[in-house]
Amino acid sequence: MDDDELIAALAAGDDTALRELFMRHAPWLAGRLRAALPPPDVEDVLQETFLAVWKGASGFRPHGAPRAWMWVIARNQAALLLRRRGPVAAPLEETPRVGLDPAVAAVVRADIAAALSGPEGDLLRLMYVEDRPVAEVAALLGVPAGTVKSRAHRARRMLRAALGGTR
Amino acid sequence: MNVALTEIHRSFGKNKAVDDVSLELGTGVFGLLGPNGAGKTSLLRMLATVLPPTSGKIRLLDRDPRRPAARREIRQRLGYLPQNLGYYPSFTVVEFVEYFALLKQMPSSAVPKAVAQAVERLDLGAKAKARLRTLSGGMLRRVGIAQAIVNDPDLLLLDEPTAGLDPEQRVQLRALMRSLGESATVIVSTHLVEDVGAACSEVALMSAGKIVFRGTSADLTARGEGHGVGDAPLERGYSAVLAEARS
Amino acid sequence: MIFPNEPDRPPSAQDSPGGVDLGRVWAGVAAEVWRRHPGQVERTAARLLRSPGLARALVSTPSLLLPWLVSTVVVFGVGALVSLGPGQPLVWLMAPAVAAVGIAFAYGPGIDPAWELSSSCAVSDRMVLLTRAVAVFALNAVLGLLASVASGAAAALTFGWLIPMTAVCALALAAAVAARSAVVGAAAGVSAWVITVLAGQAAGGQFTSSVTNAHAYLPYLAVAACCAAIVSYALRPERGLQ
Repeated sequence: MDDDELIAALAAGDDTALRELFMRHAPWLAGRLRAALPPPDVEDVLQETFLAVWKGASGFRPHGAPRAWMWVIARNQAALLLRRRGPVAAPLEETPRVGLDPAVAAVVRADIAAALSGPEGDLLRLMYVEDRPVAEVAALLGVPAGTVKSRAHRARRMLRAALGGTR
Repeated sequence: MNVALTEIHRSFGKNKAVDDVSLELGTGVFGLLGPNGAGKTSLLRMLATVLPPTSGKIRLLDRDPRRPAARREIRQRLGYLPQNLGYYPSFTVVEFVEYFALLKQMPSSAVPKAVAQAVERLDLGAKAKARLRTLSGGMLRRVGIAQAIVNDPDLLLLDEPTAGLDPEQRVQLRALMRSLGESATVIVSTHLVEDVGAACSEVALMSAGKIVFRGTSADLTARGEGHGVGDAPLERGYSAVLAEARS
Repeated sequence: MIFPNEPDRPPSAQDSPGGVDLGRVWAGVAAEVWRRHPGQVERTAARLLRSPGLARALVSTPSLLLPWLVSTVVVFGVGALVSLGPGQPLVWLMAPAVAAVGIAFAYGPGIDPAWELSSSCAVSDRMVLLTRAVAVFALNAVLGLLASVASGAAAALTFGWLIPMTAVCALALAAAVAARSAVVGAAAGVSAWVITVLAGQAAGGQFTSSVTNAHAYLPYLAVAACCAAIVSYALRPERGLQ
């Protein structure tokens, strides 16, 4: 069963579907959360996340992006946890973005960093920060132009997921 | 010492099921071997406070089970898997384990998490809400083991726990017993000699109500050198000791 | 989670990205998702009986189907014998003992599949049996009440046997909970029954006429008053209750 079908089964009350979702997604969610939180907090957030997934399954639109949906829930739970703790200890590097909750900002930043690490990160930097054309990026990276375009597409999707889910 | 038996006798009419058994056990996994009818189940039932001895002294978890208050305290810290455990067919796995968690007087707030952990430890998570009537024999046995460990017992009594389990599950069960034996007294009664070898730090062999051997598996193996019937060294030791006892 | 031979095994301590124990996380999630939510009857019973285990035993009494059927047959059978036949005091006095033995057998070693295991549990099996007796009589009394609308014989059975026995068993259970002893409870129940029968005899001769005979309500009221007193004693605030 794919993720959409599992979530539909969840909405119908099938707890084995939740177990399957947990096995598939808890590891990568834990890894992402770990970039911003210590292990005990990650455990608490993960537990609240999957309970929220269980209760909120009926609100998930089919053919949405399950991974993004789950990540948004996890991120919100993380923010809730940090907010309950008090002011965020880590200093903000640049001017704080007006209107963005500091707790959410910390998690989002960790998020973007994760999304930008690796080959996708270089590609995004070359294409959008340094504003080079596709052909030049392809030559620099030593890959075909088609590959540059598909990787860019994937990187943009990851960024979108990191920044706010299905919109 | 979690278990201290002194000159325990148990008779059913003229039949001496347990004949002058004395035993002292601390933490660890302890194997109780013997043929059917040797008295293993009667001994385990006495340890589970289900059956009183005809004579002799029992002390469990530093308490005297003859006193009702002490007996209740022992039972709260006890886990028991009887040889023939029946099931309530309409109960689900979680309901069955939870029912006995409540009967063992676990605090209600601690019950859901303890049940979830016991169910997952026996790899029954995918069947948590399945009704018992839909499960196979091996799975039912695992449900029985789950209810025995749900209250994190200091004294765990397992009577033929491996019945219905396939070889790989038996290996995993032995790992579970070893891990539990680090902080509790685990007593496993079985007529399958190989269940014993890898898991138990100590072994006793019963025959006709008496303990005819007590020692490590290596000691039992040593008794089989040059004698005995059996394919494996432990089996040869087992049959050598039994033959000696019967002669 | 130690049986990895099944293909869909959940994460265990081996999958611990950055020191996160996914097994522990799942146990916390599963605890909430699998949790059973007791109904109002069970929650009230848990408070009255001071034991969630006894309350669960009470509420699960009818779902143990074979024992339930056997004990119902016994209860109705004994009831029919006593209340629809001649009203001899000795028969009336012995009837509860017969019913009690029947219920004990139905929920005991003969028929209850997990009897051996239950008798090794901290909650006393005699208390459980007393609880089950209350459940059997109470539910049968309700059924009897419904049948009484249609049938006079059912009314005689219900008012002459089922309802009094429910009251007596409830009294016995209340006394047992208060005194923390099933024996005390049984003694209280037996005494109450004897008083009820003898008072009924004194009030009107034929016990089965107790529905119409106002004097015979006195024993019922006395029993009800005792139950209420015991229950309120049992519910007094106590330290260290779970």
